[in-house]
This record gives sequence, C-alpha cells and structure tokens, in this order.
Amino acid sequence: MQKIICLLCSFLLFASCVNAKTYKVATISPDGLGWMKQFRASVKQVHELTDGRVKFKIYAASTMGDDTTVLRKMRIGQLHGGVVAAGSLTRFYKDLQVYNLPLTFKSFEEVDYVRERMDARIIEGLGTGGMDSFHLTETGFAYLLSTNPVRTVEDIRKLKAWVPDGDPIAAELLKSFGVSPIPLSIPDVLPGLQAGIINAVAVPPMVALALQWHNHVEYMLDLPLIYVYSMLAMDGKSMSSMETEDKALTKGFLNGVFRKVDAENRADNEKALLALKAQGIKIIQPVQLEAWESIARKSIENLVQSGGISADIVDTFQQHLIDFRSSSAE
Amino acid sequence: MKKLLVVFCLLGSLSGCASLVSEITSQMADNLATTILNSSDIDTVREGVPAYLLLVDSFLRGSPDEVNLLLAASSLNGSYSIFTEPDRSKMLNQKALDYAMRAMCLSKVQLCDLQSISFAEFENRIGGLAVKDLRVAYALGVAWAGWVQASSDDWNAIGQLGRVKSLMEKVVELDETWEGGGPHLYMGGLETLLPASLGGRPEKGKIHFERSLEISDDKYLMTRVIYAQQYARLAFNKELHDRLLREVIAADPVVDGMTLINKMAQARAAELLAESDEYF
Repeated sequence: MQKIICLLCSFLLFASCVNAKTYKVATISPDGLGWMKQFRASVKQVHELTDGRVKFKIYAASTMGDDTTVLRKMRIGQLHGGVVAAGSLTRFYKDLQVYNLPLTFKSFEEVDYVRERMDARIIEGLGTGGMDSFHLTETGFAYLLSTNPVRTVEDIRKLKAWVPDGDPIAAELLKSFGVSPIPLSIPDVLPGLQAGIINAVAVPPMVALALQWHNHVEYMLDLPLIYVYSMLAMDGKSMSSMETEDKALTKGFLNGVFRKVDAENRADNEKALLALKAQGIKIIQPVQLEAWESIARKSIENLVQSGGISADIVDTFQQHLIDFRSSSAE
Repeated sequence: MKKLLVVFCLLGSLSGCASLVSEITSQMADNLATTILNSSDIDTVREGVPAYLLLVDSFLRGSPDEVNLLLAASSLNGSYSIFTEPDRSKMLNQKALDYAMRAMCLSKVQLCDLQSISFAEFENRIGGLAVKDLRVAYALGVAWAGWVQASSDDWNAIGQLGRVKSLMEKVVELDETWEGGGPHLYMGGLETLLPASLGGRPEKGKIHFERSLEISDDKYLMTRVIYAQQYARLAFNKELHDRLLREVIAADPVVDGMTLINKMAQARAAELLAESDEYF
C-alpha cells in the first residue's frame, strides 16, 4: 500500500513539475523599497496558490540592466518581464504617451477621472503590441527644480536643463520651450548639478529626494509639467503559455499589488513635497500661465503631426478633460 | 565611597559636583556598553537593556549637557533598536539622533541646526571639523544613519542621506582607522544603497568594505555581512556573496568588544545564505 502511495505521489509531483515555469522579471528599482517587498511577497503567494506551477524570479537594482536592456533581454527570451517606465514601451504602443503630454493634467482629480476611462485602452493597446501589462502605476507629476527661480517661459530659457540621455521626445519638448537641453544619463545628473553643468531637472518630488538631487537646487516651480507612470509589462507570448486559471490568479494578485503601489506612490509624493519644503526648497508660482500652456499645446500638435502619437487618442484624452472640468464647474 | 562622594560634592562647587557625578555616570554607561558588546548571550541583552535605557535617561535628566553621557545614551538607544519592532526602533533611533545632535551642538556651536540649514551651508560647516571633533562627529554619523534606516518610510529622513554621507566622508578624511574602520563600513553601506544606474557607486562601496575589513583585521563579522548583502547582491556576484557569508559563519565570534554583534552577524549571515538561491 505504501509503495502505491509513493508511486502515486511521484506521478503527482511529476505532473505538477511538467507545467511549472519560472518567469524572470527585472527592474532598476533597488531591493528593499516598500513596493519591492510587496511584489516579492505576492509572487510567493502566487507560487503557493498555483501549487508551484507559476514561479517568479525577480532581478532588482538594475542587475539585468536599464529599461532598454531589460526589453532587449525580453525580446531574446532571457527575461519574461520588467517593471519599466511607460516611456520605454512606446514601440509597442506609441499612444501610451498620452498621459505624458506636457501641461495637460492640472490636478490628481483630473488624473483619476481620465485614467478610470483610459487605462484599459492603454493596456489593450500594449497587448496588441505584444506586451501583457498589469495595473498602471503612478510615479508622479514631474516638477521643475532649479538653482535659479523660474516663473516665466523667458526664465526657463536661461536654464541649463537636464534631459534623460536617449529620450528624443523629452528633448523636443524642452526645445519647444526654447531650452537647449543637456542630455545626461541618470548617474551623471548629481555630479552635473554639483559641477554646474546643469542647473535644472524635472522629476517627481520623491525621485529628487531618493537620488539626493534636491541638495543642489533651491527652487521648485509649482506647475505639474508631465505625468509619469510605469508598469509591470510581461512578454505576451510567455504569458499566453500560462494556464487560464493560473493566469487569472496571477493577474488578480499582481494587479492588486500594483493598484496599492499606485495609491501609495501618490501619498509618498505628497509627503516628499512636504519634505522638500522642510529642507528649504522654495516653491514658486508660475506667472503668464497662458504662455506656458500655449507652447505646450503647440508641442502636442507637433507630436501628432510627426506621427509620434495618434490624433484620435489625443482628442479622446482632451475630451475627457473637458468633460471633467465642465462637470466640476457645475 | 558614596558617602565620600557626597562629602566631596558638598565641599566642592555645585557645578564641580555635577561634573563629577556626570563623569561617574558616563563611565558607568561606557562600562555598560562594553559589557553588552562583550556578551555572547543575545537574549539576555535583549531583555536586560531596557532597564538601563531608563537609567541612562535618568542620568541625563540630572546632567542634560554632559557630552559624554549624551554620546553613551545615543549609542545605547541606537544599538538597542536592532532588537525592536519598526515603530519602537524609529522612536529609539530618534532619541539616539537627538542626543547625538545635542552633543554635537554643545561641543561646537556652529554645528547646531545641522538638519535645517541649507546643504551648501552644511557642507561648509562640516568642512571645518577637526581631529578633536572626531568622537562626536562619528557618533552623530552613526546615529543619523541609524535614524534614516529606521525611518525609511519618511521622505524627510531619506532626503538627509546626502548629509550623513558628507559627514561620514569627512570622518574618513580625518581618521579612516577610527573605531576599527567603522567610517569605511558606513561609507560602504551608503555607496551601495543605489545601483550604478541610479547614481550609486557600488565599486567605491566595495573599496570601503575592503578597507574596513583590513583596518579591523577581519574581526568585525558584521562588515562581511553588509558587504555581502549590499555590494555582492547589487553586483549580482553569488560567488562573493556566499563566500563572505560562509566565512562569517565559520569564524570565531568571541572578540573583545565585538562578541555580541559578531553573534548577531552569524545569525544574519545564515538567513542571507538561505535566501541566496532565491536571489541569484
């Protein structure tokens, strides 16, 4: 009898091993951050609940390279997914940049209203492009932090402003404001600020604090320039090999984690903004707002005309903003 | 002895008496710290230290401006926090930082308000530290780093990491051998917080860890543990990670002034080694 049980157990073990797969996911985020702890805990739960059929291996802290390298490794099958900045995924779905358009959102209420109506379209677009993505995660509004006070469009033109190396869209955007951007990789930004090679950066408050850039600027322009977000994107083919039930369970669990992180990041940015003020950063109100917005509108038109984004998604986005603003005004 | 002390105090000035009592209590706090650090019984220390935290606090009530006592209290509160839950750890590290900040301010007036002045002004003032300030400066660096670590969900604390690093860099510059290479260990930890792609400097961190090991004659086992956890994981070097941790586990933990931390390092090394296959 014991032998039969052992034999049966071996078969069962073998059966579960046949379908087991390890999904390798990488990110530039350092280990030990709050969201990483949640992510690691939840993939462990997925592993247990699928009886070992779905296993995730997480490579944190850029051990697999930056977002571009992670996506390249996904293409050759070395990795199956990455938690990456949305901007790195434009070749899978160019219209995901619609949330990154300059000076469009004026508040988080507007973000929530539009995202409730458009996130699904972005996720679907990425799916068509071959990326199975999870709940979109807010990184925050990028604000201009500078060594000199900036109030007007004329002020910004005097800046030596940083633009991420290899980000032509951000570079074009800055150029539309009459700024000659200085491209640097992220590790070169802090030394660049210290040496005066650059004197302005545009990032969400929590990024400025985490990377200690705030120590080398004095002012923050109280104008949300761009909405930045990221997501867990899995290679569509890899995910399609997952059993339907396992996929539903995995998606449910991980979407839950990223939904929570999405909300926590907003709270963190609010706290980070207070911390910036506590550490002596002076908050400046913009003047001649219409001049800022007019240039931003022109840069969006140029992006549409160059085929960088579809007119359809920009129109839909703008219509949602109009709807929200008119309902708020009532 | 006690009676003699009282008589001496009565004969002396009030301030002289306070100073003598402070000296004795500081000495007692120092002896206590040494006894704790030489203990190989982690559980007894965990259970016994809280009473002494109260005792040192009571000493400070009598001598709030005694720098030696403030430093001893800072060290005791900060060290004990590793045994506690996150909320309590945060509170203990806040106390440790407050005591160290007060000690710094008392010993050099231009080093008050170090958390609120601008970063440029901070660097300017830290630049004026001299060898005679080392003891207080290092104690402040240790307490500050502990506070940031315990408050890692507080953006105001995260934003002060640059100041901690700047202070510890100055300590290394003044005397890299201080406290058995402790400043290098802290610099190693600070340089490996972020990956190179986000501006961290893991290879510089590695040099600091190696130098700390060299200065401490490889006797402080926690250095290897942090070296493995911070650098080897960031560099994705499993061979180095596992080797460092195995060396910690195989080493003799009994070293004067380091036994307790060495025992804790061995326990942590075993935990990290168990996670190795999962991580790499």
